[in-house]
Amino acid sequence: MSVVTDDLGLIDTLRQRQVSRLRSRPLRNGHGLFVGDNGRFFRAGPSVQDRLNGGGPSEEDLRFLDGEWHVLGSGSLERRSRRYAEAQRLGWSHRLDYLILVPTLRCNLSCSYCQVSRASLSSTGHDWSDATLAAVLDQIDRLETTSIKIEFQGGEPTLRLDLIKAVIDRCQRFERREFVVCTNLQYLDDEVLELFARDEVYVSTSLDGGAATHLSNRTATDSGTRRFLDNLNMIIERFGVGKVSALPTIDPRSPPEPDELIDTYAGLGFNSIFLRPINFHGFARKRHPESREQQSDWRRYYERFIGRLIERNWQDRSRVLEETYLGVCLRRIFQPGSERHVDLRSPNPVGVDYVVIDHDGTVYPTDEARMLARSGIIDLAIGSVETGWDTPERATLDRHSTNEFDPACRQCAYQPFCGRDVIDDIARYGTIDMPRTETEFCRKHMYLFDLIFELVYSDDPAVRHSVCRWLRLPGTPVELGPTLP
Amino acid sequence: MIQLSLQSMSDAETPFVTRLRATGDSVDPTDSVLVAEDADGATYAGRHGLISILAASAADLDGDVVLVAPGAGRVERLLRARRLDIPTNTLLVTERCDQLCLMCSQPPKKTHHDRFQLLTDAALLAEPESLIGISGGEPTLYKGQLLTMIERVLTERPDLEFHVLSNAQHFEEADVERLCASVYDRVTWGVPIYARDPGLHDHIVGKDGAFEKLQDGLAVLLGAGCRVELRTVLLSDNAPHLAELARYVATRLRFVEAWSIMQLEHVGFARRRWRELFVDHLSDFSTIGAALDHAHLHGVHAQLFNFPLCTVPAAYRHLAQPSISDWKRKFVPECGLCTERERCSGFFEWHPDGEARSAVRPL
Repeated sequence: MSVVTDDLGLIDTLRQRQVSRLRSRPLRNGHGLFVGDNGRFFRAGPSVQDRLNGGGPSEEDLRFLDGEWHVLGSGSLERRSRRYAEAQRLGWSHRLDYLILVPTLRCNLSCSYCQVSRASLSSTGHDWSDATLAAVLDQIDRLETTSIKIEFQGGEPTLRLDLIKAVIDRCQRFERREFVVCTNLQYLDDEVLELFARDEVYVSTSLDGGAATHLSNRTATDSGTRRFLDNLNMIIERFGVGKVSALPTIDPRSPPEPDELIDTYAGLGFNSIFLRPINFHGFARKRHPESREQQSDWRRYYERFIGRLIERNWQDRSRVLEETYLGVCLRRIFQPGSERHVDLRSPNPVGVDYVVIDHDGTVYPTDEARMLARSGIIDLAIGSVETGWDTPERATLDRHSTNEFDPACRQCAYQPFCGRDVIDDIARYGTIDMPRTETEFCRKHMYLFDLIFELVYSDDPAVRHSVCRWLRLPGTPVELGPTLP
Repeated sequence: MIQLSLQSMSDAETPFVTRLRATGDSVDPTDSVLVAEDADGATYAGRHGLISILAASAADLDGDVVLVAPGAGRVERLLRARRLDIPTNTLLVTERCDQLCLMCSQPPKKTHHDRFQLLTDAALLAEPESLIGISGGEPTLYKGQLLTMIERVLTERPDLEFHVLSNAQHFEEADVERLCASVYDRVTWGVPIYARDPGLHDHIVGKDGAFEKLQDGLAVLLGAGCRVELRTVLLSDNAPHLAELARYVATRLRFVEAWSIMQLEHVGFARRRWRELFVDHLSDFSTIGAALDHAHLHGVHAQLFNFPLCTVPAAYRHLAQPSISDWKRKFVPECGLCTERERCSGFFEWHPDGEARSAVRPL
């Protein structure tokens, strides 16, 4: 594989012609990918790179670069729209409108990789106290927003339906409301079903593959597995598949066959599968120490999985299956700002637009941070629901929550598409002061963006079909990414 | 076709605005209430005296805000209360224009009758939560009066919105501050752009230097954070260059709320030059489809105006808006069987019947 070597030489040459800063990344087949600060990109072959580095761009090159918005123009429209496009790529967190609430830590299952260090069903002191509930409701009353999203996590939150209902009742003043109950679907009585029947209530659950996989990871008994699957089917049948989202957690040492997982999800009517390997927190860390970083085995598996999605989408055009996170990254490249995904953005401040309120009223910046604290790794609490979270702890985390000024990120072609996650760094390395390229966050996203650009520039009609559907395009254009000939 | 201008008689000496009421309920001082109706028309009484409107039914006119012009013997239905679909009531603020587009549907006139005060009165009487169109001519030729009207109406009526069609030739940097005011959150500027190439754009709008002015105007609107909808009428001149325009919109103009690609109207200048100008999208949709795909690829919401649904390939049909106002919209007999009429633009009243009938494939 040949690489774009003389990056600086290229930039120098182009600057004289008022070409904007371009960062490059080698693609396969000797091509290089060039990305501007506004996120516009193009591909160029080795001969073009030689031309740009050597004698400078030709008239045709400059015309192409201008059409693709890499030549700096003059005038106020140019200045303003450039700033607009760059700002569009920045994460936008405004006011708090998304709460993750943990009304209880108690659970009726004991999953092998439980990320939250559960408490046993009969234990005490693991539910919101009356004072905590009152403080949560008081926080809700103070929100200055017209829309609200609340996720109830646990433990198993349906063990405390009374708390869920108290919160939902208090939210009726908001114009738009969305409540997600994250449940293991073990026990559904009439009261739970009545809650799920409300239009504003959604259900989120874990589904790790076929029955055997789910059994070994989670439910532990055949009857538990059957109960889960029966309940899942019943909910989908009764309320429609739009009511439910399901997430798998994959053990990278023995992942299910892609088709087993896809069949399970597609069979239930789900089109989006969030392929996540076991995460490195809580009890999971003790039981699966090798999960600290994604291994090449996992990446091979991931790629095989994406390949199967593409083949299946091509065979059956009536539905579009997608891997959730690949879709998020892909759309961030082309359609900045089109969706809100708090896991991938920069700046990525904590405690601004969403927070986690734990069973004891402690406030964490993310669910991961809560798990880190529970498993005794580091206490990343930023405050409490009673006293608020405008704290020095939060300010410290926020000071570094951007990739904008990181020396490695500044060199990186993918910076306009990428994000920053200080909590993840701390979780893995105990510090955020790591060369970016040595972090799992960086390696994972470099891998994903490399894969995506390979798909974007693929000639295979099946690949293009899937990529266009994942980008929500009406048609399938011949060219998704431009190439400087 | 629904008539927007009706013959009338009135005792008043000067033009005025009033709302017509079929019954005496909820009388506002500005209302005129029905006193008699017969086969010849309807007669109303209000604070400006009696108005008789010929060949009209009081039920149809109930709630309409009208401009009564005693000298001309007409009433103009400015804001119809019983409009059937989204396209808005439109206030025409002037018939003068500084461009002369080669397909202009409403060729400009040299003279201007200032009626901003009457239009302000009318807008203040609009039905709750309405979106009111403002059009011309070129409304910003009278920028001062226009902005004053917008500010006055939107300050008094926080439930209303305006959509202003403007060629954006007359904004200046000094306007940025004024346009930053919060009332302009409820104003969308519909701005035509026909080509990326300045020469071609200037040729189509019949004005040298128009493209450059347009860029400056858009910069002002962007600088003030205004809401902008771009509009591109398809012509045989610019259709071959649509891809270039799409790329321009997806880069430099990505701040717009929407980009509307519009099919030609068989009226005004376009009527005489129809064969020469009309782009038959039925026989080749590929350039339009590619432009829509390119815009959507880059997160710009592109849509189709004046494209009957059945003439658009299925994959793009959801982008075709019911853009033709009810009063000038028609369907042809072939449309009778169609199940999608509710969502369809239909045809302009003045579209050639033969062409319309042969284009339709009921859904």
